[in-house]
Amino acid sequence: MDSHLTVAIYFIYICLGLIGAGMLLLFWFRIRALGIAKKTQMYLQKHQNYFIFVQTHLNGAAELQLPPGKLTKLERRVIQQKLIEWIEQFKGDLRDKLVKLCHDAGFVRDDIKLLDSLFYGRRISAAYRLGGMRAAEAVPRMLLMMEKQKYSPLTIVIARAIAKSAERGDQLKEMLHHLLRHGKPIHNMAADIVMETGLDASRLLLKLLEDENPDFVKVALVAMWGQAVPEVVPALDRLVGAEEDVRAEAVKLYLSSNPVLKDETIAELMANPDSEIRAEVAKTLGNMHAAGSIPLLRTALKDQNWRVRNNSAESLAKLGDTGFEVLCQVAKHGSGIERETALHHIEKTMLEESEHQKLDQMVAYNKKKLLYERYFGVSESKPVRQVAAVGGDYTA
Amino acid sequence: MSVNVIYFSIMTFSFRNILTIFRRAAYSKFNTLSGSELVPSISLLVPAYNEEVTVIENVKCLLTLNYPTYEVIVINDGSSDDTLGVLRREFGLEPLPNPEMRNSIDCQPINSVYYNPQYPHLYVIDKPNGGKADSLNAGINLSHYPLISSIDADSLLEKDALIRMARMYMENPEETVAIGGDVRIANGCVIENGAVKEISLPRKMWPMFQAVEYLKAFLGGRIGWSSINGLIIVSGAFGLFRKDYVIAVGGYRGGYPGEDMNIIIKLHRYMLENKLKYRIAFCPEAVCWTQAPDSYRILSNQRKRWGRGNLKNMIENYDMAFNPKYKVMGMLTMPYNIIFEALNPYFKITGLLALIGYTMLDMTHWQVLVVFWLINFLSGYLLSIGALLLEEIAFKRFSKISDLTRMMFYSAFKFFGYAQLGGLWRIQGHIQYLRNNNSWGTMTRQSWQEKSGNAKSA
Repeated sequence: MDSHLTVAIYFIYICLGLIGAGMLLLFWFRIRALGIAKKTQMYLQKHQNYFIFVQTHLNGAAELQLPPGKLTKLERRVIQQKLIEWIEQFKGDLRDKLVKLCHDAGFVRDDIKLLDSLFYGRRISAAYRLGGMRAAEAVPRMLLMMEKQKYSPLTIVIARAIAKSAERGDQLKEMLHHLLRHGKPIHNMAADIVMETGLDASRLLLKLLEDENPDFVKVALVAMWGQAVPEVVPALDRLVGAEEDVRAEAVKLYLSSNPVLKDETIAELMANPDSEIRAEVAKTLGNMHAAGSIPLLRTALKDQNWRVRNNSAESLAKLGDTGFEVLCQVAKHGSGIERETALHHIEKTMLEESEHQKLDQMVAYNKKKLLYERYFGVSESKPVRQVAAVGGDYTA
Repeated sequence: MSVNVIYFSIMTFSFRNILTIFRRAAYSKFNTLSGSELVPSISLLVPAYNEEVTVIENVKCLLTLNYPTYEVIVINDGSSDDTLGVLRREFGLEPLPNPEMRNSIDCQPINSVYYNPQYPHLYVIDKPNGGKADSLNAGINLSHYPLISSIDADSLLEKDALIRMARMYMENPEETVAIGGDVRIANGCVIENGAVKEISLPRKMWPMFQAVEYLKAFLGGRIGWSSINGLIIVSGAFGLFRKDYVIAVGGYRGGYPGEDMNIIIKLHRYMLENKLKYRIAFCPEAVCWTQAPDSYRILSNQRKRWGRGNLKNMIENYDMAFNPKYKVMGMLTMPYNIIFEALNPYFKITGLLALIGYTMLDMTHWQVLVVFWLINFLSGYLLSIGALLLEEIAFKRFSKISDLTRMMFYSAFKFFGYAQLGGLWRIQGHIQYLRNNNSWGTMTRQSWQEKSGNAKSA
């Protein structure tokens, strides 16, 4: 019993010691943070005129320099942070001049040295600032860091710094290689990082599209989403028939380039097992005003996937009177999910189009209204009311 | 002693991760991401029951988040006050003739869906009262996006909260099935235009106890649990989920409180049984501010409800405990929750009674009682100090020295009454469970402006 009590008393002493140490640390952290915040404010105030001077001389020919006199470490950091903030906001010559000022002031040199620090935290913060200063000379060292780094949220911090600072496309490709080698499907994040580059992104993306690495192709496809340029169409043509892995993205991008699609291609894509592809095709058919595809869209109203049904109905509503009439027919005579989808889109179309002011839009609306009244009657403004029953559609 | 070992181990995991959290928060700028098409779209689900006082402010806050593509779905769960009316008037909402409810999950039939094309991202579902879980299920059925986020109608999200969570999701989209946000107490803060303008600690005693309690639970506990993928709860006030998996597990379990814990247990079970690689993460830098109960009656109701929900979840899922098939969840999280959370008050009471009995019978000395109490108090206080250190290292939200001393004081003060009340409320919750008392209890809301006015005048 006594020995247990002794252990318990030791435990109490340890707790007391740790609590005391914790409290001291807490006060020390707080007082230090308050001190830094106060000094930062003071330096920002002190150099207010310098900041105005820099801003007004960004367009001038004269070289910019740091304020005269000896600057403390924190003072230099405050100025550096301000310059990085501006570099993020400005582009072109103004940005170049600020980047040069960071070089001349020794900020880049100091942070490159910190990349070799024993402390991981210092290396990461230095990489972050070097990215902010678009420090091209730091890229090889940061690539080494990425190579050694295990995958973590901080890998993305380094990757972004490299993307901002890289001078050559191959450096970006190497960065992507390190980022994607962990096998995580982070193509969206990678695309977002690549788009931070100051290089010509469209050329780089074209190169990635031609690459053998499917991950690179996917990043390029995701990055180009909704903005396909004519130069990429041949590559996309190839990829539409390529491996499953990149196909959905390739089809999406291909369709956004408003291609001329053959009937058999449309039919093949609408029968694709990937619901994303079917949904994209259904959406595109409406935008293409492809009236010939109405039967396909009509069938797709029964699709298991909600997005496919929704996009098909939207497209039918866009395909003039014939498309709208098909929706009315399904709403009147159909059943189950296809009827629900049609009903919803008929009401949506009637609501949206009733507010059109232009003559041609009014004419189109009136035609649809007549069709609507033929199927559902004239008496009520919202005649077809239905709340869906509890059921078992399990598509998300 | 073993409970302390677990507590300290979890706290150690939290400390191990805190610097990474600090760095990822400090070195991630969201200006590009928040305008990017590459970020996944999210449906925000906001169940509202008798929230007429706060709901407008909250919806306005949600409609102005820094996030590219999202929709807000408020679910009026048969409120007896004018929650629906205030929403309809404020946003000019009209019933949608044929709302497209997908019925992916069973829920009560709804009355109507309200919409105004001028607010294209806002939908309000009106339904008969069916509980929070049923409301969330109805929201899922209407939602259009692959990720869903549950948000309490009495909570305010920070503008960057959603984009921070999305960033975490994008870091590992395949494996991430849920992410929890950090919930903090808004009582005492100055709130303007649906956002927390000035952070301060609550002035009243009950919210202050909860402020230090939340800090300990979220920073000291959840960071550590999530690092070993053993998180058992993502707070109902703010969490992000993959919709396909929520549907796969049948959505939220209705009819009982504790649906936030239940959905996470079900997700763990589903992923482990199907041998799918997954993680349930915690994102402490994504912050949601919530109104804490500021009176004894409301707080006790809330805690009894939590006690009931916790017990129900443990009973429903007892088969997971000590089952190696469920990995960390089976071997650590569930046993810990059953033994040290659900049954904790009984152990404490019986232990204390036994010690008092021995002391009275003079079988041992009174010093033993003092030592027992000191160990209990000091180890608990040490964990609180640890949580304050985590806050100070990574977030520094409370800038004043006086705030720090108040938090230190209340962290100690809560062992003199509040902690014991917590045990009592939990036991009362268990009694309610056994009596089949399944009411939600009273919750009264105060307007954010009113609260903010009080905070300013202090």
